[in-house]
Amino acid sequence: MIKIKAKDVDVFYGKKQALFNISLDIEENQVTALIGPSGCGKSTFLRCLNRMNDVIDICSVKGEILINDFNINDKSCDVVRLREKIGMVFQKPNPFPKTLYENVSYGPTIHGMAQSKQEMDEIVETSLKKAALWEEVKDRLHEPGTGLSGGQQQRLCIARAISVRPEVILMDEPCSALDPIATAQIEELIDELKKEHTIIIVTHSMAQAARVSQNTGFFHLGQLIEHGSTDKIFKNPDNKKTQDYITGRFG
Amino acid sequence: MNLILFTFIVLLGFTSYYFGRKKAYTIQSTKKRLTALPQFYGYYLAIWCAIPAFIIFSLWAIFEPTIVKLLILSDYSNQGYLDDELNLLYEKSKALSRGQFTGEITPFIEASAEKYLSLRSIAQSSKVVIVLSAIIASVAYAYKRISSNSRTREPVEKFLNAVLFTASLAAILTTVGIVFSLIFQTIDFFKVIPLFDFVFGTHWYPAKAFVRDSSEALDPTMYSDTFGAVPIFAGTFFIAFIAMCVAIPIGLMSGIYLAEYASTKVRQYAKPLIEILAGIPTVVYGFFAALTVGPFLKELGTSMGLEVSAESALAAGGVMGIMIIPFISSLSDDVITSVPQSLRDGSYAMGATKSETIKRVIFPAALPGIVGSILLGVSRAIGETMIVVMASGLAANLTLNPLESTSTITAQIVVILIGDQAFGDPKTQAAFALGMSLFLVTLCLNIVALRVVKKYREKYE
Repeated sequence: MIKIKAKDVDVFYGKKQALFNISLDIEENQVTALIGPSGCGKSTFLRCLNRMNDVIDICSVKGEILINDFNINDKSCDVVRLREKIGMVFQKPNPFPKTLYENVSYGPTIHGMAQSKQEMDEIVETSLKKAALWEEVKDRLHEPGTGLSGGQQQRLCIARAISVRPEVILMDEPCSALDPIATAQIEELIDELKKEHTIIIVTHSMAQAARVSQNTGFFHLGQLIEHGSTDKIFKNPDNKKTQDYITGRFG
Repeated sequence: MNLILFTFIVLLGFTSYYFGRKKAYTIQSTKKRLTALPQFYGYYLAIWCAIPAFIIFSLWAIFEPTIVKLLILSDYSNQGYLDDELNLLYEKSKALSRGQFTGEITPFIEASAEKYLSLRSIAQSSKVVIVLSAIIASVAYAYKRISSNSRTREPVEKFLNAVLFTASLAAILTTVGIVFSLIFQTIDFFKVIPLFDFVFGTHWYPAKAFVRDSSEALDPTMYSDTFGAVPIFAGTFFIAFIAMCVAIPIGLMSGIYLAEYASTKVRQYAKPLIEILAGIPTVVYGFFAALTVGPFLKELGTSMGLEVSAESALAAGGVMGIMIIPFISSLSDDVITSVPQSLRDGSYAMGATKSETIKRVIFPAALPGIVGSILLGVSRAIGETMIVVMASGLAANLTLNPLESTSTITAQIVVILIGDQAFGDPKTQAAFALGMSLFLVTLCLNIVALRVVKKYREKYE
């Protein structure tokens, strides 16, 4: 099943064009990895999917992005609702300077998802459990989230993202600031999360893309060079550039 | 004369720099490796020029007057003069030598004045000779000593260190000096006026103390009920409160607007415009308050059937608030901008709107910094003088009605110290006591503000 369908997406930063004609289909309940050298536009594309580029004044997006057959670049699209459906995890763990509990309850609060304290407690607990953090923090939910270790902070951010039960989770190099053990934990988590969510992950590590994803898209200089199943991209790519990048000849 | 000498020493300094460097180049040209860059050799020599000059100048400044005085007064010893008379004689002859003496000129004084002049000129020329020879000797010694492996970099760095240390020491010592002068005068004040009366007295009427003829004996009982500081402390905090009521909401909101909502273009123009407010001299604010806002409020009040004094706490406090807006706005803009963008992104990505993000994430994260900026604003409000003197009246009423006139610590210090003052008089010392209390209050506020701001910084670094 196709969850997200991007059609001819162009992105401009001021006059500079950052993405050219990107068309890409994202499968539901699978992990799609976006790889490519730095500055190739993979993060920019990711940020198109929840309209995070709106935050940047000079950035403009053209083309259609259909999520559940609804064009999110349409004027009638409510960004608040969109971002409720599409969660995001960032490169650097960015927990709010609040308690763990408040970090996770943030989304449900602003979307009015809990009617009572009890419901909220439940949401927080399930989210933390799904993010594989519950056991480590259940006794200190009311301590600041910034006091956790890097890997724990990133899992807290994942818990925060899944607290509103999004359909899609965007991950922008979620492990680049973490050590190998924390990275392994997050990768394991991604595998678990794909049962309920569609996941798109931008990564610099080709090994990670190969480990966690079912589909891969290769970006280069603002263009989507090739996309397909991860197996195919890594074992038998059609494009020479993809081949070169995968085998480490550039990038 | 001193100026010429000074210029000459500076020139000597440059010359020694030049010679030092030149010697270094000469050494270098013999293929020897130097321990430091040639400039350091130059600086090293320049320091050998500066230090003896500095030492001799200071010694001269300290001892010359004393020695001259001793020599002149030695003529009068054994003639049965009292110390005070001797001092007077000395001062008279000094004045005569400058042509500023207007009294009766006796031959004695004339002789001393001539002697004073000749001694001064001897002192001056010997200073020139000693300084110059000392400099030349020391530079020559150092010049001879420097070689390829002499250490020049370390002394130069040490010298710089010492100069910078002296500069900061000067700032600190000045503060300490001011505090001590406050403390001693304050203690004297409290010897006459009981501390209890000052802190808890509700009647401030220093004009009563002005009527005393200074030839009369000091009678502490006449000051009872004169220096009760409660009304002016209350007035100070009341006006500061009114000012903050204006400054905090407007400053904070404009800070938030500038940091979060304004487009780059608006910000580019709006921020400097707001900061212009901070550049307006307070005296201008003062007459704005006294001549525009005060009468306006009075008219407005009268038309509504209220009795408003032309010099009201509201006018002074309101204008003071306007003056403080740019501090709060600019500082809170800075702290809000320095909240990491990643937190904003995190909140937006959860589907929060801009105002929700500001309310729930940015504001709490920036709160310590904002509190710091507010506290700095408060300490400015408390220390502000000119606006209050001009717009809020000088009578210390104990009132909480913003439409009446009231007075502050700073305004009362001005009242007390304007015109002729007699030192050692309680009415003058009252100013020191007020200054001391003002200093303590703002000191506490600043310490708290700095602590809060520091705590905030640690969080994100």
